[in-house]
Amino acid sequence: MSVSMTQTAQITAPAGSSPPAPPRAGRARRAGLGERAVPYLLLAPAVITMLVLLGWPAIQVVGISFRKLDLGELVRGEIVWVGFDNYRAVLADPEVWAITLRTVLFTAACVAATVLAGLLIAILMRHVSTTVRVAIQVCLVLAWATPILATTTVFQWIFDQQYGILNKTLVKLGFDSFAGFSWFSSGASTLTVIGLLIVWQAVPFVCFTIYAGLLAAPRELYEAAAIDGASAWQSFATVSWPAIRALVTLATFLSVIWDFKVFAQVWAIRQGGPDGESTTLPLLLYLKGIAGRHFGVASAIAVLMIIVLLVLTARYLQLLLRSREADVS
Amino acid sequence: MKRWTKLMVGAAAIALATAGCAGSGGTDSSNEQKAGQPRTLTVWLMNGSAPATLTDALNKEFEQKHDGVTVKYEVQEWNGIQDKLTTALASQNPPDVIELGNTQAPAFASEGVLTDLSKDVDKLNGGQWLASLKASGEWDGKQYSTPFYAANRMVIYRTDMFQQAGVTPPTSRAEWLAAIGKLKAKFGKDKQFQPLYLPGQNWYALLSFIYDEGGDIAEKSGNDFTATVDSDQAKAGLEFYKQLVDASGTTAPKDNDEQNPEQAGIYGQGKVAMMIALPWEVDTAAKNNAAIKEKTSAFPIPSRNAGETAPVFQGGSNLAVPVNSKNADLAKAYLALILSEKYQSQFAEAGMVPGASTDLSALDANPVSKAMADASKNGKSVPATPKWATIEAGQNPLKDMLTAYLTGAKDIDTATADANKALDAAFSG
Repeated sequence: MSVSMTQTAQITAPAGSSPPAPPRAGRARRAGLGERAVPYLLLAPAVITMLVLLGWPAIQVVGISFRKLDLGELVRGEIVWVGFDNYRAVLADPEVWAITLRTVLFTAACVAATVLAGLLIAILMRHVSTTVRVAIQVCLVLAWATPILATTTVFQWIFDQQYGILNKTLVKLGFDSFAGFSWFSSGASTLTVIGLLIVWQAVPFVCFTIYAGLLAAPRELYEAAAIDGASAWQSFATVSWPAIRALVTLATFLSVIWDFKVFAQVWAIRQGGPDGESTTLPLLLYLKGIAGRHFGVASAIAVLMIIVLLVLTARYLQLLLRSREADVS
Repeated sequence: MKRWTKLMVGAAAIALATAGCAGSGGTDSSNEQKAGQPRTLTVWLMNGSAPATLTDALNKEFEQKHDGVTVKYEVQEWNGIQDKLTTALASQNPPDVIELGNTQAPAFASEGVLTDLSKDVDKLNGGQWLASLKASGEWDGKQYSTPFYAANRMVIYRTDMFQQAGVTPPTSRAEWLAAIGKLKAKFGKDKQFQPLYLPGQNWYALLSFIYDEGGDIAEKSGNDFTATVDSDQAKAGLEFYKQLVDASGTTAPKDNDEQNPEQAGIYGQGKVAMMIALPWEVDTAAKNNAAIKEKTSAFPIPSRNAGETAPVFQGGSNLAVPVNSKNADLAKAYLALILSEKYQSQFAEAGMVPGASTDLSALDANPVSKAMADASKNGKSVPATPKWATIEAGQNPLKDMLTAYLTGAKDIDTATADANKALDAAFSG
């Protein structure tokens, strides 16, 4: 849900600043105020909707992060300003720092794995026969189309300690120590399973995006490169890469945003356990905000998450801003 | 300028994507309803609380007694009810009567979102109230919610397997462990057989063992609680839990609770001789294996002292009236009716411990509910602190403690000390 909103925002962002349509020839000089306003009027509904749906909640979150807002205040409609108390409480908690670091590392690992796997599969699709390619594409679409929680449930079954197919298979293969092995006994292995799950769901989008870029690279260039005696790696670096660089950048930064704030899968697998060792920032936000009903503190965490995300995606935002002058590639 | 627009849009997008909750309290009161005009009383009870025949009769009687009043009766699901109640109570038109889990009740009471019922206790059959549920409805010396019904866990067992192994329902811990040994000797050839199915995170069972040792998980002074999970009694309770797990060789996951996977389903497969469960889990088990109901009975959780039963964690529900309710008078009348002897006795017949009736004779008809009624006399609840709801809705330190100790990730001193610290943090947070 929020994913699609982000997408919309990403797509709409350049559109929102696209130059007004060139005035029609002949009437250019006599264009009145009304006519010059037309493009803006046409854009207005979209811009206003976006401001209401995106801007207002964002401002609200920042506002609430400076308030004490527990269930009582919410019910009575009281507004209690507490200044930076929420931030102080959050930042003074050493656990928050550990969770932030964990979230950043987890995001980095997920994004790297997703983009790499997506890239490799995309290149593979370029080189296999049509039948195999279609088979791969169907698999990717199916993986993509399966609802998040359905996939999560399947993964829980696969990795189940007693009845999981993974442990049973490993035992059949002779690895007897995996009988009754718990994949969720430590934070690291729990996060690995969750990471696998997230990557599995994220690869199709990245893969299709990059594959589209690969298709844009003309075949003649590869032929020319082959004639020049280029190795596989050289032809990838000189022909493929320029065609997909922009898309890989885009996919990477979108993945950063998505993986950083992923909640459902992490919560569904072990509720941040064992012993809180797989708790990430979105889970912390849920625990404080929904479970603990400290909406002010939760908002402060949300604002901190925004700041971390802005730092992580600063480069992309920079590229986005420059994209007017030159292409992202 | 345009850069700024873009930056703002990007920032807003990320903000929206990450921000979960932003509540703004809109105000539109002024639809107070006058007496005499048609009124609607909205009642929220939980799924599985009251049989439909009971509520149908109750709502009909209430509507007949109060002219022009319609009861809008809605059944809610337990899953996610805290969030739903939070939003409902914050609205200007909340339901008029709500059911709260007894462990959640103090959280709502302390936030001042429930109507003070202290003056109405007598009118609400207060003399008959179940003490542990009455306590969970109190906050700061006032009564914010009333008992509704209670239920507690006991040991559900297979009569046929007990007979074949030559064991009778145990009446002490020693007998219980001996019974597990005999069952294992008799049926152990079947590798899937488990004398006792006990997942690592059944913290309700752990509470029972800790109470039995004379311990508790927290100490109360005024409105504050201090965790006492690192006491010797609590450690002894935890050790007995491990003893049970080891003795039975249960293959239940050590890092999950009785809901994941649902233990009743596993019991229903017929390879389990005992489980620590609630009475209605027998029906869940019977869904896939109707024959098992005939072969199932129950006994209270045995105590370390022979002949006694261990104190149990008293689960249950309370009833309350949201402070924003426009029909508080009607809501109180509704509470009076549902808590009257007439309807409370029907709860007992339906197999639950009534919250406002000391007459439990109706429960004796069924061996499973009889075992529960026997144990309920010795029931205790979790600390009546508003923070407990946070613990249950979030990450429960008792579950983490159990898993860490049972898997050997931590020794008993570290596990209990860590849980104690986490509980104290939750109590003060």
